[in-house]
Amino acid sequence: MKTIYGAVLAGAMAMGASVAQAADDVTLQLKWVTQAQFGGYYVALDKGFYEEEGLNVTIKPGGPDVAPAQVIAGGGADVVLDWMPSALASREKGLDLVNIAQPFKSSGMMLTCRKDSGIATPADFKGKTLGVWFGGNEYPFLSWMNKLGYSTDGGEDGVTVLKQGFNVDPILNGQADCVSTMTYNEYWQIIDAGLTPDELVVFKYEDQGVATLEDGIYVIGSNLEDPAFADKMVRFVRASMKGWKWAEENPDDAAMIVLDNDATGAQTEKHQTRMMREIAKLTAGSNGALDVADYERTVQSLLSGGSDPVITKAPEGAWSHAITDKALN
Amino acid sequence: MKSVLAILTVVVALVGFWYAACVPMNIHEAAMQAQRAGEEVTPAEAPERRHMGRISLALKNTGLWSTVFSQERPQLPAPHQVAQEFWKTTWGMIERGRAFSKRSLILHGWITLSATLLGFAFGTALGIVLAVSIVHSRAMDMSVMPWIIASQTVPILAIAPMIVVVLAALSVDDIVAKGVISMYLSFFPVVVGMVKGLRSPDAMQMDQMKTWNATRTETLWKLRLPSSTPYLFASLKVGVAASLIGAVVAELSLSSNGGLGARLLAGSYYGQTVQIWSALFAAAALAAVLVWAIGVAQKVTLKRMGFAQ
Amino acid sequence: MMAWVFGSLLFWAAAWALNVRLSRLSAPWVRFFVPALFGMTVIIVWEGMVRGFGVNPVLLPAPSAIAATFVGEIPTLWGDLVQTFFKGALSGYVIGCTAGVLTAIAVDRSPFLQRGLLPVGNFVAALPIVGMAPILVMWFGFGWQSKAAVVVVMVFFPMLVNAVEGLRASETMQRDLMHTYAATPGQGLRKLRLPAAMPFIFNGLKICTTLALIGAIVAEFFGSPIKGMGFRISTEVGRLALDMVWAEIVVAAIVGSAFYGAVALAERVITFWHPSQRG
Repeated sequence: MKTIYGAVLAGAMAMGASVAQAADDVTLQLKWVTQAQFGGYYVALDKGFYEEEGLNVTIKPGGPDVAPAQVIAGGGADVVLDWMPSALASREKGLDLVNIAQPFKSSGMMLTCRKDSGIATPADFKGKTLGVWFGGNEYPFLSWMNKLGYSTDGGEDGVTVLKQGFNVDPILNGQADCVSTMTYNEYWQIIDAGLTPDELVVFKYEDQGVATLEDGIYVIGSNLEDPAFADKMVRFVRASMKGWKWAEENPDDAAMIVLDNDATGAQTEKHQTRMMREIAKLTAGSNGALDVADYERTVQSLLSGGSDPVITKAPEGAWSHAITDKALN
Repeated sequence: MKSVLAILTVVVALVGFWYAACVPMNIHEAAMQAQRAGEEVTPAEAPERRHMGRISLALKNTGLWSTVFSQERPQLPAPHQVAQEFWKTTWGMIERGRAFSKRSLILHGWITLSATLLGFAFGTALGIVLAVSIVHSRAMDMSVMPWIIASQTVPILAIAPMIVVVLAALSVDDIVAKGVISMYLSFFPVVVGMVKGLRSPDAMQMDQMKTWNATRTETLWKLRLPSSTPYLFASLKVGVAASLIGAVVAELSLSSNGGLGARLLAGSYYGQTVQIWSALFAAAALAAVLVWAIGVAQKVTLKRMGFAQ
Repeated sequence: MMAWVFGSLLFWAAAWALNVRLSRLSAPWVRFFVPALFGMTVIIVWEGMVRGFGVNPVLLPAPSAIAATFVGEIPTLWGDLVQTFFKGALSGYVIGCTAGVLTAIAVDRSPFLQRGLLPVGNFVAALPIVGMAPILVMWFGFGWQSKAAVVVVMVFFPMLVNAVEGLRASETMQRDLMHTYAATPGQGLRKLRLPAAMPFIFNGLKICTTLALIGAIVAEFFGSPIKGMGFRISTEVGRLALDMVWAEIVVAAIVGSAFYGAVALAERVITFWHPSQRG
């Protein structure tokens, strides 16, 4: 079985390169399930911004089992959304991921704790149980803990880490003292589940000085050398940013567009509208071009992790302004 | 008739147990809501309640028992809540003429069903081909069979995302990728059953074929395959259930097009327990219908082939 | 580059020819050598294809890379194995199978309940129980206990169905004989019907070995401490460390096969009298 499989696979790898760039089709792999976090892209699709640029865009939702970097490496997408720590870590693994645009200016990541667990400052984390997402999303947390000097293996002087599932149950059930949340999503799930803001303490990664860049647009670096592909990306970024700015101005309508595109039919209007409004706060202040200062800060934070840094050396060529320079001027 | 009564008794007992379990499972949430509404709860302090066992808390707050069956996000939804949600997303959708809307379980059931059937077809074909070659070639039997058994110890959920990525690299349709994943689970019972079935003709029957100077192909078509039919159907029943599990698991990795697995995932992600349970029941109903359909096909075929029932 | 591809294909052809010849022999070592050679062929062709076509290691690593990771990461792999298999899968397997057999014995005296339980049990055994994993993780927490709970739920019904059928397996004649011996129901159970049920019970136990491992691994996808095979697989995929993922899969396959083998061995020892174990 495997032998046939291997042969077919290898054959298609060879073909894949030529097929991918044939038309103006663009496949975008999202980092997570369809939700307002990706509102800008759905708006651009729905409002015909992509069409105006002569693009036929397919948006593939992600999920807990989907690693965008792996999808793009396999040729399943032309362009992916990823968080910078994960993208840079993939880069160290030998995957030539390049950031071509950064619609998200600020980080929405937080650690949300119950007040009754006795946590008031990061100094109180010692000996507590913290919920974290894994699968590439753990890097900002690990570098924060490194900065604080906590071991993540449990024990007296460290913190006990749980791999949090897709929801906020651990904090509701009291299995964890804190869980990772996004300002636009999980925090509100906690509130919806009945805890009040008074019962919670939140630590924003932005406030703790450990924020890293989220939801950037990444492509395979070598593809950019192809002028046709680069031109396609210029148009893609331009239309996407138009979508984002439209979403910022019309959050309620944008949320409805997201709902229309949710294939599972599981999202609720209330949650998505709220999410869209919170997302708008994070995209505000970005015109799409990566701010090099933010990039440097992210890299420093990832490098500085004591014994087990996320990346071992400063990456080179991990970002490019070539696309945004053309797209936004 | 007697067995219908027996089955009903068991089902009623299970449902009763389920209702009873709702009380301790949902009592913490009920107490929190009651406290918010300004009602009397013992003990009054939330942290104190959190450290209490479910059962002791339930016993202290008998007055709250009536509220545990109608919560919006219960830990364990009551059977009627699941039934209502199930009804609302199936027949309710048909009534409103939106049977194939994205919020309809009929659509998601259909997506899962099509992947299941595709995987089942792949799996059955692969299983029969493997079984035939195993029966005819001693080298195949000795070298491949142990690995077929070993293949089933590999957790499918672990390799499903990788299969998805590799097949996406081959620009294969998502539904085919799902089919391949369900094939991985469904070919196994078919191989095992068919090998047994193809070998089921006894020495006397094989000798008979020899005296007629039948070729191996003739023996396969006229003796081995017909006598393996009962085994095939028994395996198909297991295989179709396995195929459905494969499709649901595949949809956890390929949630973009919906399906019951995607519904489960999204429900779990947003803590919509009622939705999770109704998706589970939709999958259960699907499994029941598929197994039943194969049972019917089995009866009809075997009768026409003259097997004693 | 192409040398790898052709070389591995050549090896395949040669090994297959050898296997065809060997399989005609009846020496005992052949039974081990032939499948081993086949497995080796698969690995060599895999290696050849990956190298020959330059497949990206984040998609499919070469067996040599997986082996290197396997050897280098033995302490991690062992820790994951203990967490997932010994704590989660094995305890769930023991609890679930014991509960299945005990329930079967409990309803043994009531043909009415048996008639009701058997179809319901068969129905539940065919369900995608895996879908219960997120619910059980929510109820039993993130530790190994919730993994064991998933395994219990997964193995209980297949075990119950097999045990109930097994207890009915003794023939009327044999039961009548026990009756003429004036055996009590307890004695009848111990001396006749439980032994007669053993082949069925072992069938259930064997089916449940694979279910147990799969259940424990799958449950870890929905929340876990930071060790365990399911945890490692899901996080290392996100980190593109596919060699580590495959190393865990290799561990799962080895442990799963060994578990199955151990139960099959116990079956041979305990049900040595059964026709399927003779010859």
